[in-house]
Amino acid sequence: MTSRLGENFFRHEYGRLVSMLVRRVGLRHLETVEDAVQAALLAAVESWPRSAIPENPSAWLYRVAHNHVAGELRRQIRHGELAEQHARAALDSTNDAPGGLLAGDVRDDLLRMLFASCDDAIPIESQLVLALKTLCGFDVREIAERLFTTEANVYKRLGRARARLREAPLELVDLTNEQLASRLAAVQAILYSLFTEGYLSSHAEGAIRRELCDAARRLAAVLAEHPLGATPETFALLALMHLHCARMPARQDGSGGLLLLEEQNRSLWDQEAIQIGLRWLARAAEGDVFSRYHAEAGIAAEHCLAPSFSETRWDRIVECYALLERLAPSALHMLNRAVAVAEWRGPSYGLAVIEGLEPPSWLLGSYLWSAVLADLHRRCGHAELAAQYRDAALRSAPCQAVRTTLERRLRAR
Amino acid sequence: VSVTETGPFLRRNMPKYLCLQRNLPGGQAHGDKPSPAQMQAMYTKFNEWREKFQNNLVDLGGKLGAGRLAAPEPPPDGPLIEVKELVGGYMIVSAASREDAIQVARECPGLVRPGSGVEVIEIHAPG
Repeated sequence: MTSRLGENFFRHEYGRLVSMLVRRVGLRHLETVEDAVQAALLAAVESWPRSAIPENPSAWLYRVAHNHVAGELRRQIRHGELAEQHARAALDSTNDAPGGLLAGDVRDDLLRMLFASCDDAIPIESQLVLALKTLCGFDVREIAERLFTTEANVYKRLGRARARLREAPLELVDLTNEQLASRLAAVQAILYSLFTEGYLSSHAEGAIRRELCDAARRLAAVLAEHPLGATPETFALLALMHLHCARMPARQDGSGGLLLLEEQNRSLWDQEAIQIGLRWLARAAEGDVFSRYHAEAGIAAEHCLAPSFSETRWDRIVECYALLERLAPSALHMLNRAVAVAEWRGPSYGLAVIEGLEPPSWLLGSYLWSAVLADLHRRCGHAELAAQYRDAALRSAPCQAVRTTLERRLRAR
Repeated sequence: VSVTETGPFLRRNMPKYLCLQRNLPGGQAHGDKPSPAQMQAMYTKFNEWREKFQNNLVDLGGKLGAGRLAAPEPPPDGPLIEVKELVGGYMIVSAASREDAIQVARECPGLVRPGSGVEVIEIHAPG
């Protein structure tokens, strides 16, 4: 029964319905729309198992949600909370038949909502929360859990985004193609952070991380299919998502512990995902753009193509990290390059890369910095420094799974 | 619907029970809204329950709205209004005994939980 609807049917419908209705009644009614979509999904939960799943479940949901929106807008007019002329157009616009909507229109609605979220007056962490809420169908508690923050903090970020959208002079429908195009980089950035929140998260539960990655990949695929979003950067973004996802099944052992790259069973890597990723990478290479996404996808591709850890083409990876540093300067990228250089030419060369680097406090306080230094010093035979950094790394490990991995790796061999 | 040898026979001969969902004090009647993922889980669970007890479920019923008592005299204010608000929904199940009927209702997702219980009443129908 439920299999007919698909695993994430309700979450996906949430994003679809919010986008479709917001497109028609305007961003200022976002909260009304979200309440209506919630009510429509709940009505489905209550009535579908009693009768049957409607012939066209999506159209059914759209009709119920639309009726809710129209009813609520009329109520607001009656109570004087809403000027009639603001709602009139909105009410009229919802009269189009949902059955007549093409799949392409729905994708277009999703994208417009995504572009609207990427308003540069909204701080990026608020954009991220807004996208997770309105487009991916996560609620505040689920977002807090996935982003390792408090519900109060999620509410705060969401409030900031909504306040901005309420006062935004432009309705979604009014964004011109030029305006949409100018937001493309911001849209790519939000999809990238959505993905990395899932991929890099130290959340113990793999399924939860996977969900964020899949949500990002799904929206990126929609973006790549649209003329506005079909650029080399988007293709590179999709390539790196697929190439990273391909290796996810091997990152954990049977009991949820994290495995280092060299410990992973490469036969568990998803070959189909690797092929898809490589195809996107090839498309990304058409044209003369080289973005940070290209560099990151290039690194991921080298790992995926290496038959074993020792046969990895570390020189290519070092080169990609150097390019990445140039395109997106960050001490973290430099640290990663140091690791790759250590594998390529030896640990002392790795240490030389970060010698004299004053890491920003967020990196200095993270286990990554201490762990890399502990490892490189240990391999160089600097026992005392290695022990110091090792202790610091274990102290700042965000969870037990990471701590266990560090203990295994940093044990003197 | 496939009709088995025992199915209709059992059903015709088993007593029927009216199940009334009652809101109990102490629970949150209008608690947090479920998220889409939670709704998906509710939907799945409800279908599994319906599948499991398909031979017991006579009428899945539904929610009950506000009611009004038609009586020879105008009803007094007070207790009646409360009773009306306490009943949230109904369904009819058939079972060999009231205990079995209670078991069907108890396993229905979301029915018996803090703030909500179910009253199981045997229906004495003639014939």
